[in-house]
Amino acid sequence: MADEEQQFEQERQSLEVDIACVGFGPAMGGFLTTLSQKLAADSDHPLESAVMTGMPLQVICYERADDPGFGVSGVVTRARGIRSTLPDLDPSQIPMATPVSQEKVLYLLDPVGASRRSLGLRTADAAIKAFRWMLPVDHDALELPYTPDFLRKHDGLVMSIGQFNQWVASQLMTSGLVQIWPAMPVQQALIENDAVVGVRMVDQGVDRQGKPDAGYMPGMDIKAALTVVGDGPVSPVGRQLDERFGMPPGHEKHDWAVGMKAVIELPEHVDLKPGTVFHSFGYPEPEIFGFFYVHPERVATVGIFVPSWFDSPVRTAYRYLQHFMMHPYFWRYLKGGTLKSWGAKSLQESGKRGEPFLAGNGYARIGEGSGSTNVLTGSGVDEAWTTGTQLAESVVELLRAGQKFTRENLERTYVQRRRRSWVEKEGRVAEHARDGFQRGVISGLIGMGLAGMTGGRVSLHLETKAPHERLRSPEQFFASRLSAQELANIRRHCTQTNTPLHDAVMEACGWPAIPFDGKLLITHQDALLMGGKVQAPAGYADHVSFRDAHVCELCGARTCIEICSGQAITPGENGVPAFDREKCVHCGACLWNCSQADANGVTNLEFRAGAGGLHSAQN
Amino acid sequence: MPDPLQTLEPVTGVGLPALKNEMMLPAVLDPWAGHALYEAANLAKKVPGSKVYLVSLGQKAKLQQVMMTIAQKVSFELVAIDGPASGFTDAHEVAPALAAAIMAIPGIDKSRLLLFGGWESASRGAGATMQILGEILGITDQFEGVDEITVQDDGSFQVLERVEGGKHQVSTCAGTPAVLGWATGNLGEPRNDPQVGMANMRTVMPALQRAKPAKVAAEGVLYGRVELPKQQRNTRIVKDMPADQIAREIIEWISQK
Amino acid sequence: METILFVTSTEADGTLNRHALEALGTAVDTAVSLPGSPLVVGLFGEKIEAAANSIANCGAVRFLGVEGAEFTQARYATDAAALEMLCRASKATLVIAPATSRMARVIAGVSHRLNGRIDTHVNAIATSNDQVAITRWFYRQRMFSELTRTQRPWLLSVDSGCHTAYQGESQNVDIELLPIVLGSDHLRTKVAGFKAPSADQQTIRPDADLLFVTGAGWTKKQKDGQTHPKEAEQLILGFLRETKASLGGSKSLVDMSGEGEQVLQFMSHLNQVGQTGATPRHPKGLSTCCHGEEPHVVGWRFIRERRAVNLDPNCGWARGKADVLYVADAFEVVAKVNALLAEKHSTVNA
Ligand SMILES: Cc1cc2nc3c(=O)[nH]c(=O)nc-3n(C[C@H](O)[C@H](O)[C@H](O)COP(=O)(O)OP(=O)(O)OC[C@H]3O[C@@H](n4cnc5c(N)ncnc54)[C@H](O)[C@@H]3O)c2cc1C
Ligand SMILES: Cc1cc2nc3c(=O)[nH]c(=O)nc-3n(C[C@H](O)[C@H](O)[C@H](O)COP(=O)(O)OP(=O)(O)OC[C@H]3O[C@@H](n4cnc5c(N)ncnc54)[C@H](O)[C@@H]3O)c2cc1C
Ligand code: SF4
Ligand code: SF4
Repeated sequence: MADEEQQFEQERQSLEVDIACVGFGPAMGGFLTTLSQKLAADSDHPLESAVMTGMPLQVICYERADDPGFGVSGVVTRARGIRSTLPDLDPSQIPMATPVSQEKVLYLLDPVGASRRSLGLRTADAAIKAFRWMLPVDHDALELPYTPDFLRKHDGLVMSIGQFNQWVASQLMTSGLVQIWPAMPVQQALIENDAVVGVRMVDQGVDRQGKPDAGYMPGMDIKAALTVVGDGPVSPVGRQLDERFGMPPGHEKHDWAVGMKAVIELPEHVDLKPGTVFHSFGYPEPEIFGFFYVHPERVATVGIFVPSWFDSPVRTAYRYLQHFMMHPYFWRYLKGGTLKSWGAKSLQESGKRGEPFLAGNGYARIGEGSGSTNVLTGSGVDEAWTTGTQLAESVVELLRAGQKFTRENLERTYVQRRRRSWVEKEGRVAEHARDGFQRGVISGLIGMGLAGMTGGRVSLHLETKAPHERLRSPEQFFASRLSAQELANIRRHCTQTNTPLHDAVMEACGWPAIPFDGKLLITHQDALLMGGKVQAPAGYADHVSFRDAHVCELCGARTCIEICSGQAITPGENGVPAFDREKCVHCGACLWNCSQADANGVTNLEFRAGAGGLHSAQN
Repeated sequence: MPDPLQTLEPVTGVGLPALKNEMMLPAVLDPWAGHALYEAANLAKKVPGSKVYLVSLGQKAKLQQVMMTIAQKVSFELVAIDGPASGFTDAHEVAPALAAAIMAIPGIDKSRLLLFGGWESASRGAGATMQILGEILGITDQFEGVDEITVQDDGSFQVLERVEGGKHQVSTCAGTPAVLGWATGNLGEPRNDPQVGMANMRTVMPALQRAKPAKVAAEGVLYGRVELPKQQRNTRIVKDMPADQIAREIIEWISQK
Repeated sequence: METILFVTSTEADGTLNRHALEALGTAVDTAVSLPGSPLVVGLFGEKIEAAANSIANCGAVRFLGVEGAEFTQARYATDAAALEMLCRASKATLVIAPATSRMARVIAGVSHRLNGRIDTHVNAIATSNDQVAITRWFYRQRMFSELTRTQRPWLLSVDSGCHTAYQGESQNVDIELLPIVLGSDHLRTKVAGFKAPSADQQTIRPDADLLFVTGAGWTKKQKDGQTHPKEAEQLILGFLRETKASLGGSKSLVDMSGEGEQVLQFMSHLNQVGQTGATPRHPKGLSTCCHGEEPHVVGWRFIRERRAVNLDPNCGWARGKADVLYVADAFEVVAKVNALLAEKHSTVNA
C-alpha cells in the first residue's frame, strides 16, 4: 500500500501566466478578440509580460470541451456587440451563418391531446379552434400577427454557435497573441486571502473515483494576476466563486432550462428561406418553448427548452423534442429530413437576478455565468460577447495605467462599463419578466408580455423557488392522470428493464409512440452516435457523482435520470443511479435536477469539471 | 483528417471527390498517426539525444485545429505542409511532398532516422504512404502494423508487427534508419500538459505560418461514382420467443453451411 | 490488353493460403475477361515448387519464381527485392496480389520502385471494353468508389473474402527461377518468430465461419440490478469453445478491458471491430449486447449473414442492418446455446 502511494506521489506543477481564462464560449470570444485587437493595435508599445521578462503578455484560455465550438448553444442573435467588435464581419465566411430574413411567433395547439393544459389554456385552445376560419391558424398553430418588439431579431444573424466559436478561435490563434487550449477542464479557482490567484486544472491519470492511476498527473496550478471566468451556466468554477464570495442581496440562480436541439438537413422539396426564424410556445407542453431556424443550404436548427418550472418529475427533453418536431406545423418541413447533429446545454435563466459579484481581487466574470443572458429577448450570445469586450477594454486600460487587478479597479472600469451598457439596461427590463411562470404558464406569459411591452416598468414580482423545492414525486404530480396502480406497474416494469420512467409515463398519458425512421426520429442511443459522437477520454474522474447513496435510495423522484440528455444517468444498483461518462453530453441539466437537498440547499448530485462530451461543431 | 466518426457523405464534382462540408467537420489527428506520434515521443524520452519532428500535410486551418489538442500532449517540432488531407488523394503524390519536407529539415541525418507513421490512414486506409516515403528516402527496413518497439543497448531494436490470426511477428533490426507503420501500440493517450503546450506553441504557430502549399491530388486516377452503401436489410425482428427456441434457431443457423 | 501478374509469397510448408488462392481467382477472372491478356504467375518463398504445381492449370503462360532460405520469413528488404524482380521479369502491366500481412508490407514500396502505382484493399476488379476498374472503400468502409488509372504498371492488393478461392488440378509445371543476389543490406532485419496468445486465449480466428461480436451490454447491470462479469466471461468463452467462432468486440467493451476493469480480461484492441477497429470477413456474424449503429455497422460491412441479440427492440440493428434481431437477454440465450451445443458434442463423442 505504502509502495502504491509512493508510486503515485507526484508533485503538483505550476505555471505562471499573466491572464488565465476559463472557458471558451461567446463571452471569452468577445474578451479575447477585443484584447488581441487592442494588443495588435499598439504593437509599437507592446504590453510586456510580468511573468516572462521580455515576452509579450501571456494570455491563456482553457476550455473543457474537445474543441472550441463543441458545446451546443444558441443561434439567432442580433449581433450588435459582435458587429461592433468585428465591423467587417462577413457572415458568408462563417459556415451556416446568414442574416435573418423573416420571423414568426407561433402558438402551437395540441394535435395529439396529451399535453398538460390548464383549464385556462384549454378554453383558449377551444376558442382558437372555433374561430380558426378568421384567425391565422395554419397546421394546428396560431401565427401571432406580429412579433413583439422585444423578441425581434430582424437585423440579426442566424448562426451555428459551434461554427462561429471555431471561426473566432481560429482567428485568435492565427494572431498568435493568445493561446486557447481545448480538452482542458479547470477544476477550481485558486483563492488566497480573498483574492483569486489563478486556477487549478483537473487531475489526469486517475480512475473513475478520482484516485491516482497509471500516468497520474495532478492538475497543474496556473497562477495569474487576472483570472477571467467565462465558464457558462453550470461550471464548478463559477459556482465555487458564488459560494465563496456569496451573491449580492436578493440575487439567486433559481431559474434554469435545458435546451436541446437538432441540426437537420431538410428534405429536398422544402424551400424555406435561409434566415427564417420561428419561435413557438404551447406545445408539446405549455411550459416548453421551441425554435426553428433556417440556415443556408437547406439546413435547419430545431430545438426546445425544458425549464426548471415545468414541474413534471419525468421531464425529458429528448422525447419532447421528438414530439415537437412532429407537430404538424413543423413536420411538413422536417418529414424525410436527416439528423446532422444533436446536443443539449443548460441555460441560466435567472438573468440579471442571478448576477453574482462581477469582479473581485484578481478575477472578473463574464457571460452567462455572470447573469448576462436575457430571458425576455431570448438572447445570450451577444450579451455574453459584449460583457467580454467590456472586460477586455478595462483590462487594457488598467495595464496601460500600470494598475493592479483589484476589486476596486475592476469595479471602476469593467463593472461601470457594463452598468452603462445596453446589456444592463435590457437585463433590468427582463429581471422579473419570467417570475410569473413560477405560478403557471398563463401568468408567466402575461408577466413576460407586461415586462416586454412596458420596458420592465410593469412586471410580476414573485418569489422564486429553487428547482428542488418545486419538484414532487411522480405519484403526486400525475395523481390526476394515472392511478397509483398504473404508476406502480410502470415503476416495476422500468426497474426491471433499467429504463427511465418517462417513456412509459408519457405513453400512459396519451403521448403516441415515436415512429422511428432511422434518420430523424431515432432512439436516444442513436442520437448519441449519429448526432455528434460522445467522447469520454480515459484518465479523468467521473464528473457526475452522488453525494449520499442513502439519499438516492430513498429518493422518489429520481429526476436526474429522467432529465439526463444523454441517458448517461440510469437506474442503478439499490436505487442509486449509475453514471456512464461515455454517454454524457455535458449539458449540465443533472446539476439543477436533483430533487433532494440538504439543510444548506446543496443537492445530492455533484457536478464537477470534466473532459469530453459531444464531438461536433455543426451546432 | 475529418473525425472518422462523423456522418460522412461524399460529393463529386470537377476534380477529386470530396466530403460534404469537409471544412465544417471536426478535424482530428488520424488515430494511427496519433499512436505513432505518442510512441515516438515515448521513445525520444528514453533515448537521449533524440528529437521528434511532426511532419504533417493538411489544410492549414485544420492543422491548426488539430495542433490545439495534440500540442499539449507531447513535445515535438512541427513541419507543416498546406494541402488536402483527403482520402481521395494518391499516396504516390503525398509521399514525395512529405519526403521533400523531411529533407528540407535543417541538419537532418537520414541515416539516423526512425520514420514513424500510421500503418494506414482512417481516410484512405491504403497503408501505402509510409512505404513509398521510405523508398524515396532509400530506407529498406520497414515494418507495418507495429505494436511495439524495444531499443537495445547496441542500437538495434526489436519490433512486433501484427500478422494474421491475432499474432505478432517478432523481428530485430540492426539499427536506424527504418520505417515503422504503427497499429495501436500499447501506450495510452498522453496527458494534456500545459507546460508542453506552451513550449510547443512557440514553434507551432510560426511553422503553420511557414507552411508551404503542396499540390497533392491523384493524377491519372479516374474516379467513378463514390457512394454510401445503400444496402438495407429486411430485418426480421423476433420478440417474445423463449430463449430456448432462440438458441435452437441460432444453432441451426450456425451449423448451416 | 494487359499482361497480368499474379504474385504472392508461399507458406512455410510450400503451399498457398486461402487468401492467395482467392486473389488468384480474381486474377484468372480478370485475364479471361480481357482477351489477349496473358496471365503470369510469380511466387517467392523458401521453396515454391509445390505451390506452383498446385495451381498449374490456372491458365498462366509462365511461372516465375524466386527461392531461397532468405525468403522463408517475411522481411521487407528481401521480400521487396523478390517482388520487384518478379514484376520486372514478367513485364506485367497489372499486378494482382493478396493483401496478406506479408504482401501488404512491401507492395506499395515496390510500386514506387517500378515507377508504377498501387491501390490497396481492392474488393473487386471489373473489366469492360478492355478497361480495368477496381472497387475499394474510403474513410474506413464508410463509402466506396470505383476507380481506374492510366498509369502502368498498376499494382493491386486484393482483400480476402472478395472472391472464391481458385481450385484446380495439380500438375508439374516449368518454373523459371530468377537468380537473385542479396547483400548484407537486405539482411539487417532478422525475424525471430511469432508471438501468439496461448491456445486457450486465441480468440481471433480469421478462417472461422462465424464472427461473434460482443458489446458493452455484457458488462452492464442486468435485470437484477447487478453486473455479472464472471458469468459473461464464462458464457463468451464457452460459446467460442463450442463454436470455434472468432471473437470481435465493440470499442466500448475493449476499452473497458484496456482500462483494467474486471471484465473480459481476454479481450484486447485486436478484437475491436468498427470504424477504428477491424473489418473482418466471415460468412456469418452474431452480435450480442451490442448497439447496432454506425461504428459497428462498419465493422460488420463484410459479414454476409448477420443476426443480433439485444434487449432493445429499437436498437440500431432493427432498422435494416441485421437479417434477424432477437429481442432477448443474451445471457439467457448464450447460456442455452452453449448448453445445447455441449449436449450435442457429448452425444457425438459418446
Ligand atoms: C439550445 C439553446 C439555444 C439557444 N439559443 C440562443 C439564441 O438563439 N440566441 C442567443 O443569443 N442565445 C441562445 N442561447 C443562449 C446562449 O447559447 C448562451 O447564452 C451563450 O452561449 C452564453 O455564452 P457564454 O460564453 O457565457 O457561455 P458558454 O457558451 O456556456 O461557454 C462557456 C464555456 O466554458 C466551458 N467551461 C465550462 N466549465 C469549464 C471549466 N471548468 N473549465 C474549462 N472550461 C469550462 C464550456 O465548455 C463552454 O465552452 C441558447 C442556448 C441553448 C442551450
Ligand atoms: C474515436 C472513437 C472511435 C470509435 N471507434 C469505434 C470502433 O471502431 N468500433 C466500435 O465498436 N465503436 C467505436 N466507437 C464507440 C462507439 O461510438 C460506441 O460508443 C460503442 O461502440 C458502443 O458500444 P456498445 O454497443 O458495445 O455499447 P452500448 O452502446 O452501451 O450498448 C450496449 C447494448 O447492450 C444491450 N444489452 C445490455 N444487456 C443486454 C442483455 N442482457 N442482452 C442483450 N442485450 C443487452 C443494450 O440494449 C445496448 O444496446 C468509437 C468511439 C470513439 C470516440
Ligand atoms: S441524484 Fe438527486 S434526484 Fe437523483 S436519485 Fe439521487 S437524490 Fe434523487
Ligand atoms: S449526466 Fe451529462 S448528459 Fe446527463 S444530464 Fe448530466 S450533464 Fe447532461
